[in-house]
Amino acid sequence: MKRWFLLLAMVWVLLGWSALSWGAEKITLDIWMQGEPGAVTIHNTILEEYMKLNPDVSITLTFMGGELFPPGLIPALKAGTGPDIFSAGTGPGQPAAIIDAGLVIPLNKYYFHYKWNEVIPPMIVNYTSSDGKLWAVGDWVEHTGMLYNREIFANLGLKVPETYEELVQIVETVKKAGYETPVALGGADKWPISHWQSMLFGYFAGPEGIDNVMFGDGRWDQPEFVEALKLLQNMAKDGWFGPNPLAVGYVEIMNEFWAGKIPMTFTGTFVVSDAFNMLGAEGLKKFGVFPFPPLPGQKIYPTEDIGGGWYISKSCKHPDVAADVLNFMLFRRESRKLLLENGFVPVGPVSDLLEEVVLPSLLEEFFEIVDKYRHNGTIHAFLDTVQPDNVTQVTYDGLQSLIAGLMTPEEVVAEIQKEWEKAKAEGKILKPGGAITSLE
Amino acid sequence: MGKGSLRDLGSACFFLAPALFLYITFVIYPTLDLFRFSFTSWDGVSPVKQWVGIRNYQELFSDRIFWQAFRNTLLWAGIVLFLNVFVALILAALIAEPIRGRVGFQLAYFLPAVQAGVVTATIWRWMYQPNGVINTFLRTVGLGRFARGWLGDFALALPALAVASSWMGMGVNIAIFLGGIQNIDPALYEAAKIDGANRFQLFRYITVPSLYHTIVIVLILSTIGAFKTFDIVWATTQGGPVRATELLATYTYKKGMLEVRYGYGSSIAVFLMLLIVLLSALYFFQQKREA
Repeated sequence: MKRWFLLLAMVWVLLGWSALSWGAEKITLDIWMQGEPGAVTIHNTILEEYMKLNPDVSITLTFMGGELFPPGLIPALKAGTGPDIFSAGTGPGQPAAIIDAGLVIPLNKYYFHYKWNEVIPPMIVNYTSSDGKLWAVGDWVEHTGMLYNREIFANLGLKVPETYEELVQIVETVKKAGYETPVALGGADKWPISHWQSMLFGYFAGPEGIDNVMFGDGRWDQPEFVEALKLLQNMAKDGWFGPNPLAVGYVEIMNEFWAGKIPMTFTGTFVVSDAFNMLGAEGLKKFGVFPFPPLPGQKIYPTEDIGGGWYISKSCKHPDVAADVLNFMLFRRESRKLLLENGFVPVGPVSDLLEEVVLPSLLEEFFEIVDKYRHNGTIHAFLDTVQPDNVTQVTYDGLQSLIAGLMTPEEVVAEIQKEWEKAKAEGKILKPGGAITSLE
Repeated sequence: MGKGSLRDLGSACFFLAPALFLYITFVIYPTLDLFRFSFTSWDGVSPVKQWVGIRNYQELFSDRIFWQAFRNTLLWAGIVLFLNVFVALILAALIAEPIRGRVGFQLAYFLPAVQAGVVTATIWRWMYQPNGVINTFLRTVGLGRFARGWLGDFALALPALAVASSWMGMGVNIAIFLGGIQNIDPALYEAAKIDGANRFQLFRYITVPSLYHTIVIVLILSTIGAFKTFDIVWATTQGGPVRATELLATYTYKKGMLEVRYGYGSSIAVFLMLLIVLLSALYFFQQKREA
């Protein structure tokens, strides 16, 4: 009898212990993140804060590198062994494919629950949703502009240009001063050239002209796009990008820019965080930014796009917690301030935060430009991220051919249009997401 | 068949079964799947794999970029095979001589082989920069007219990368050849020397014929490696400038993964695989005939 009693007691103890450990089991979330290395540090800091406030949640953040869609992501999602939350590109192509395959969940419920509808601008909702369903939350806003070295400008007696002609004079002056490459390009990596294409297409066609092609009956082989590429080709011919623009990659050329060997470059806010970490606040002040000056009859349009978006995968066991983490990471006041202070612009209004944070100087200047010219309308910073991949690949090769003088602007736009029509016929182009009205 | 033979067969099957199972699971089945996908318009993600018959292959043969990638791959393989087989054999023969610092040479040639492809790509991308060490060296020794933006040069980007790739692969081949040379009976060399053979003749009439089977194996492995090259090109030029360094492997990746056309990408991969199988078969038949 005694033995039975002891056995029963042991069973109860074991059961109780299991129940206790079951109850105490932590919710674990795996986050896979793409982007700039600096972003990982900031997001880790934010997530540590989240875990401090929510001790029952354990989060692991894994950095996947700079590719918008790392090759390992889709197989992992399909196998159900991927992350609970991940950041990746938005738009047509791979993002559309993972949505169509049901590998991510719609975020409509959380969009209303956390009042993201009051924060995320409709333009960004448009690029992260389809058929009235929000699939991703934009990670941060990106702008592009002409970065310049203040010391070089001061030494050569140059002022920030207000017209295209003035910029031409600046390029001539820096060339005469012995700078072999007046404007850093990094054309070996292809995508940096598309920053120029996005901006020039926008300047020549205006925001409506771009939207007319993206969502209407417009064509990429219209004269304004030909003119835009003619200008780009002439810049290359005139030596703006140096003698070997296609031989140097983006990282290498930017190192030369930050080292003061190249006076200017056209790039985006995504460089601010790493430059801030590398040069420090004072070092960064040696560099300024100005909008690309317009040709006669043109306006200055600020460029704007999102870097990517945050998704919650279908296999996530705790989607409500995942959404709470996203909300904490992207919309909590303190998180947004931390992001801003480190050079990242979270989606939605940030004007109410600006008085409370010390922005990296370069980011502050970007903000001033965007604020000053926003009334003209905004244009895409990265057309390549909102176009189908077949169009992007042809565009990349076409732009390199253009820079090398192997193709005429007319030939390049004809190739882009051909691929665009193909993608359009197959329903692979970006569809406007429309308003998010339902919870489902 | 006797009882003993049956028992032997049973034992053989028993011991081979695990390896066979793994081989079928990880090689045969995926290969068959690749064939199947090449007849679909699958995007690589969706559960629906729509059968399109031979449409992918029809498109493939009228795709001018595919043919450019094919030509580039042949040129690439030619350069890599020349360096990784012919030059590697000569270097192995030289190192096999009792020279001072022999181990140092062996180590120097073999070291790149243990590096990851991406590391090699990064090193050479840096070396090929317009202001990189190669151009700096050329300018220093008065050959500045040959300095150029190597990876941005349409004619030279592919050979330049093929050299970088060979640098990575040559060490293994040198080690294999060296092992082969050391197994050749020294009496053969002694006898030839007595007959008055010079060093070239020793190499031509003793080393090369004695290494025939080793050379064939190295040739097959190098051919397969050259046709499959992806990492070094992707990490340096991504097939550029324009499509000057586009290889079949990089084109497969672009179509299959980036453009989410897994079906079409599979058809390129099938073509590449058949090409490698055909070339390997030719070598084997030749070897068998001569044996």
